[in-house]
Amino acid sequence: MNGYVEAGYVVVLGTLSAYSATLVVRERAARMRLGSVSRAAATKAPARGTPGGVGEDAGLEVEGPIGEDGLKAPESSP
Amino acid sequence: MSAPRGKTQLGTSALALRVLGVVAVAGVVATVWLGLFVTPPDEFMGNLVRLLYVHPPMAWVAFLAFGVASLSSVLYLWPRTRAEHFDRLAGASAEVGLVFTGLTLVSGSIWGRPTWGAWWVWDPLLTTTALLFVLYLGYVALRRVPGEFHVRARRSAIAALIAFVDVPVVYFSVEWWRSLHQAPTVLNPTTHKTYVHGSMAWTLLLGFVSFTLVYIWLVAHRYRLAEMQDREDDEGLEVALAERRAEASV
Repeated sequence: MNGYVEAGYVVVLGTLSAYSATLVVRERAARMRLGSVSRAAATKAPARGTPGGVGEDAGLEVEGPIGEDGLKAPESSP
Repeated sequence: MSAPRGKTQLGTSALALRVLGVVAVAGVVATVWLGLFVTPPDEFMGNLVRLLYVHPPMAWVAFLAFGVASLSSVLYLWPRTRAEHFDRLAGASAEVGLVFTGLTLVSGSIWGRPTWGAWWVWDPLLTTTALLFVLYLGYVALRRVPGEFHVRARRSAIAALIAFVDVPVVYFSVEWWRSLHQAPTVLNPTTHKTYVHGSMAWTLLLGFVSFTLVYIWLVAHRYRLAEMQDREDDEGLEVALAERRAEASV
């Protein structure tokens, strides 16, 4: 052909391939980060009901009995 | 006050997406094979006509992408249908549309150099398409400006609707102004006739279908990426809150 046709196809297909590969790699990296963040969230969050725990004010669901003072009673209190 | 953000869902089927990707790639390969080796050269353009099996599909997909982005933006702005996924879909579709608009400009420029003798002319169609590219580049940049989710989504939706005004201007520019660019050959808005036939028409049609499937595949992946990034932000915030509370309790 004449070089222009080949160049056009290379640019179009090359750009789409590069963009697709970038998306897949970024998605995979995000999934891995998300997994580590989820594990960190599970590790960092103290036991439910303790003063340092994540409670209703963070928009998260809490379970277990509520004490008279409005705070959750520790699940493993002596 | 904006509505609280709900939990995100990663609902797109991985298998369906893989099948879609395989079909899209097969379609593109078939288009390239037919376009380069099977269809005959054009009577006037010679082999340069082979570029037109990819150039109009690029433009079509760009229009489709910006149409989807605008529709999603309207649905986000409408209080009854407001949902996070419409904002994500708008962002994903606009970004993919931006890529296709860039490819429309570049492939058209490569075709224009041997046909018109110049890489670029300030033709109404080319100029308004370049403007479209810049408008959506601004939209994508605007989405990256930090802010509360719904504030950012609302201003992005308004920007998407403003940018979309240029789409019909691009399409009808060859009718409204004296243009070097040829009028549409597939669905001419004035004559309502098709000026491409036989294997050329089928190859062009296959190009439209294949690159539309590529668009859907890309948007699905871009959407999932945005969804994961949002979830990551949410869970990162929860970790930070837990750390602060743990520090305070010591």
